[in-house]
Amino acid sequence: MRRLPSLLAVLILSPLLAACADEAETDVPGVEVADAEGPLVIYSGRKDVLVAPLVERFREATGLAAEVRYGTDAELIAALQEEGQASPADLLWANTAGALGAAGDAGLFATLPDSLLGQPAAFVPSSGRWLPVTTRFRVLAYHPQRVDPTALPATVMELPQQAGLRGRIGWTPAYSSFQDFVTAMRLLHGDEATAAWIGAMKTLDPKAYESNTPMLEALAAGEIDVALTNHYYVLRMLDGEAGAEEARPEAPMAIYPFAEGDVGNLALVTGVGLLETATHPDAARRFLDFLLTEGAQAFAAEEVNEYPVIPGMALPDRLLPMDRAVTLSPTLDFGRLSDLEATLDLLRRQGLL
Amino acid sequence: MPTPTLRRPRLRPYLWGPAALVAAGVLVPLGYLLVRAFEAEPEELAALLLRWRNVRLLGNTLGLTAGVLAAATALALPLAWLVTRTDLRGARVVTLLGVLPLAVPGYVMAYALLGLAGTNGLLAQVGVVWPRPSGYGGALVALTLYTFPYLFLNLRTVLLGLDPSLEEAARSLGYREREVARRVVLPQLRPAYLAGALLVVLHVLGDFGVVSLMRFETFSYAIYLQYAAALDRVYAAWLALMLLGLTGALLVLEARLLKGRLYARTGGGAARRVRRTALGRWRILAYGFVALVGLAGIGLPVATILFWLGRGAEAAAWGDLGAALWDSARASLPAALLAAALAVPIAYLGVRRPSAPSRLMERVAYLGYATPPLAFALALVVFSLAAAPFLYQTLALLVGAYALHFLAEAVGPVRSALYQAPPRLEEAARALGRPPAAAFFAATFPLLRRGLGVSVAFVFLSALKELPLTFLLSPLGFRTLAMGVWGAAGEALFSVAAPYALVLILTSSLLVGLLLRDT
Repeated sequence: MRRLPSLLAVLILSPLLAACADEAETDVPGVEVADAEGPLVIYSGRKDVLVAPLVERFREATGLAAEVRYGTDAELIAALQEEGQASPADLLWANTAGALGAAGDAGLFATLPDSLLGQPAAFVPSSGRWLPVTTRFRVLAYHPQRVDPTALPATVMELPQQAGLRGRIGWTPAYSSFQDFVTAMRLLHGDEATAAWIGAMKTLDPKAYESNTPMLEALAAGEIDVALTNHYYVLRMLDGEAGAEEARPEAPMAIYPFAEGDVGNLALVTGVGLLETATHPDAARRFLDFLLTEGAQAFAAEEVNEYPVIPGMALPDRLLPMDRAVTLSPTLDFGRLSDLEATLDLLRRQGLL
Repeated sequence: MPTPTLRRPRLRPYLWGPAALVAAGVLVPLGYLLVRAFEAEPEELAALLLRWRNVRLLGNTLGLTAGVLAAATALALPLAWLVTRTDLRGARVVTLLGVLPLAVPGYVMAYALLGLAGTNGLLAQVGVVWPRPSGYGGALVALTLYTFPYLFLNLRTVLLGLDPSLEEAARSLGYREREVARRVVLPQLRPAYLAGALLVVLHVLGDFGVVSLMRFETFSYAIYLQYAAALDRVYAAWLALMLLGLTGALLVLEARLLKGRLYARTGGGAARRVRRTALGRWRILAYGFVALVGLAGIGLPVATILFWLGRGAEAAAWGDLGAALWDSARASLPAALLAAALAVPIAYLGVRRPSAPSRLMERVAYLGYATPPLAFALALVVFSLAAAPFLYQTLALLVGAYALHFLAEAVGPVRSALYQAPPRLEEAARALGRPPAAAFFAATFPLLRRGLGVSVAFVFLSALKELPLTFLLSPLGFRTLAMGVWGAAGEALFSVAAPYALVLILTSSLLVGLLLRDT
C-alpha cells in the first residue's frame, strides 16, 4: 500500500513526460495524401457568432462536413503545440496577424499556393503561410460630449502629451489586437520609441481592460473618455450587427482617425493558416477558396462590419471606402508582426502583463 | 489510538480505485506544469520569479480572498440560521434565494453590476448615477454574491442535521442563549463552515471572469492572460505553481483547524426536533435582509439578462438553444454524478479511517480544483493523446475532466454528512454479518443523501458554467450554454447572449429546486 502512490505517480507521469519530450521531434515532412475520413476540422480563435454562419454556408455550398473548435488564438495555438502530430485540426482561423505569424514561426502552417495568395488585394504575408480573410482597423474612440476631436493629436505617438486626458484613457494591453499595434509601432518607430511611448502613456494613468467590449461599455458609461480600440466595436455599438443587436446610435461615442499612415490606424488582419498536420488538405483548400468568394466577403462587410480583402467589393455606408481605409493604415509586411515575443517582453518590462 | 471494536476492513478496490483516479487528476496537471516550468532558461527563470509584480499579485489575491470570505460569511451565516432555526415563513423560498446565485456565471454577475452604474447604466434611467464598480471593491461584491451560497448550503445542511439535545443539555446546565450559540452550536458548524469556506476561497483564487472585468489583478487573472493572450506557457506554468503553493498552504491550515473533531451522536435514540426562535419584532429586519440578498444575488443578474433580451432587434435563435442545452446537460449531469460517486470513498477514508495518506488524498482533491483550468485542460490534452488517443475530444474525457476538476465541491458536503453519521450503526451492521460495503450502504449511505444531493448540485452548477475545459476538451462541434453566453457577450452581442444565459439559469434553478425539495 505504501508504494502505491509512487507507483501511480510513475504510471501517470511517464506518458506525459514522454509526450512532452516527443514534441521536439514532430517535424515529419508532410506527404500529400488524399483526404482522410471525417469532417474538415477548423480551430477558430474568432468567436462563433463571426464564424458559424460562414461554416454553415460552406456546408450547404459544398456538401462537405466541417466542424469548429472555438477558443482564443493563444489557447488554440497552445493546444495545437501540445497535440503535435496527433492534432485533428486542418485549419487555424485567427484574429490577428501577430497570432498567425507566431503560429507560422512555430512551424504549425504549411505554405499556401499562389493561386490563393494572389487573390487578396493587400496584407498577404511574405512568408506565404497564411491567407488574409478580412481586416479591421485600430482607431481612437472618444466621447463626443467630453472630448473635442479637433484637440486630439494627428498621431497616436503624441497621445501621451494630452495631459488633460489623465485617468480618462482606456486601453487593452493584454488583448491581441493591441499587441499587434505595439509590434507595428516597434517595427515602424523602433523599440526605444515604443518603450518611451508606453512609459509616457502610463503617466496618464490609463485604465487597462481585459478586452474591447467591456472597455467600450465603460466609454459609454462615462468611466473613460477615449479608448484605443478597433473600429468594428464602435460600429457594432452604434449601428447594431447581424440583425441581432439593437443599434444604440445615441451611445456617446465616435471614431477619431489619426493622420494617413499613422500606426494608430493599423490594419488588423484576420486570416487562416493550413496546418502542417492537416488530414483534409483538399477540403481545407476549398474552404479557403470559399472564404474569398464574394458571398463570404460580403458577409464580413454587411454582417460584422469588417473590411473584405478581395478587390472590387461594394461596402455599406457606415464603413469607409476600401481604398481610403487602406491608405489610413501604415504599410508594412504583415508577416513581420509575428515578432510577438519582443512585444510581450516589452509589455512585461513595463509591468503591463 | 483506541482499540477498534471490529477488525478494520482491508482497503478494497472500490476504496482505493477512486483515490487513484483522483491522484491521477492532480498529478497529471502537476507533472505537466513542472515539465513546462522547467523549460525556462535559468536567467529567464530568475527574471520571471523575482518580479515585483508577483508580490503585488500575491497581496491582491490574499486581500481579495480574505475580503470575499468575510463578506460571504456575513451573508451566509445569518441566512442559514434564519431558514433553519427561526419561525421565518417561506424558508423554502429563502433557501432557493440563497442557492440560486450559484447558477449565475461570475462574468454575468460582473456585467450586471457594471451595467447598473455609470451614466448609461440601469440606475441612470431612474436618475441615479453611481460610479462604476471596479478594482478591489467591484471584484469583492461580484465574487461574494455568487460564492456565498457555498457557505450557506454547507451551514444549512449541518444546522438541519444538528442534534438539538446538546443545546438543550447546555441550557439545562444554565448557559444563556448567547453562550449556547458560542460554545455549543458554533463549534459544531466548524467542519461545514471550513468546507464551504474552502470552496469560496478556491473560487476566488481561481476566478478570472470577474477579476478581469473588474480590472483587479490576481494570480489567476495573470495566468489567464499568459495562456489566453500572451502565448506564454512557461511563465503561466510558474504562476500556476505559485497559485498551487498558496492553495496548498491554505489546505494545510484548514486541516489543522479540523483535526481531531467528532460530531456524531454517540447515544441511542433519534435526533429531537429543533426549537425555533421566534423572531418577533426582528421579523421585518429579517425579511429586509432576505430581500436584499435575493435582489442582489439573483434579481439583479436576471433583470440584466431580461434587459439584454429586450435590446435584441430580432427574435433569438431559440432552435440553437435546445442543442446547447442538450450539450450542457449531457456533459454536466454525468460529471456531477461521477464526482459525487468519487467523493463518497474519499470522504469516507478521510473521516472514518483518518490517517496521513487518507487525509492527504482528501486535500489532493482540492488541489485539482485549484489547478488553473487552462493548465488542467492542456495537461489532459497531452496526457490523453499520449496514453489514450481514442479518448481525445470525446464526451467521456470531458466528463472525466469536469468530475476530477470539481471533485472538491462534492467532497465537502459528503464529508460534513459523514461527520454526523454515527459510525456505530455501520459497526452494528457489520457485527450482524454484513460485508463492509453492504454494511455501509445499509447503515451509513441513507444518512448521506442530503449531503450527496448538495454535492451533485454543486458540481452540476459549476460544470454548467465551465469554459476553459469545455473549450479545449469537448468533442468537435460541441456547444454548451456557457459557450453561447461567453462567445456572444465577449463580442458585445448581449441580446444574443441573453437567451443562453436565461436558459442556463433556469436549468440550474430547476435542478437545485429538485434536489432541495426533499431535504
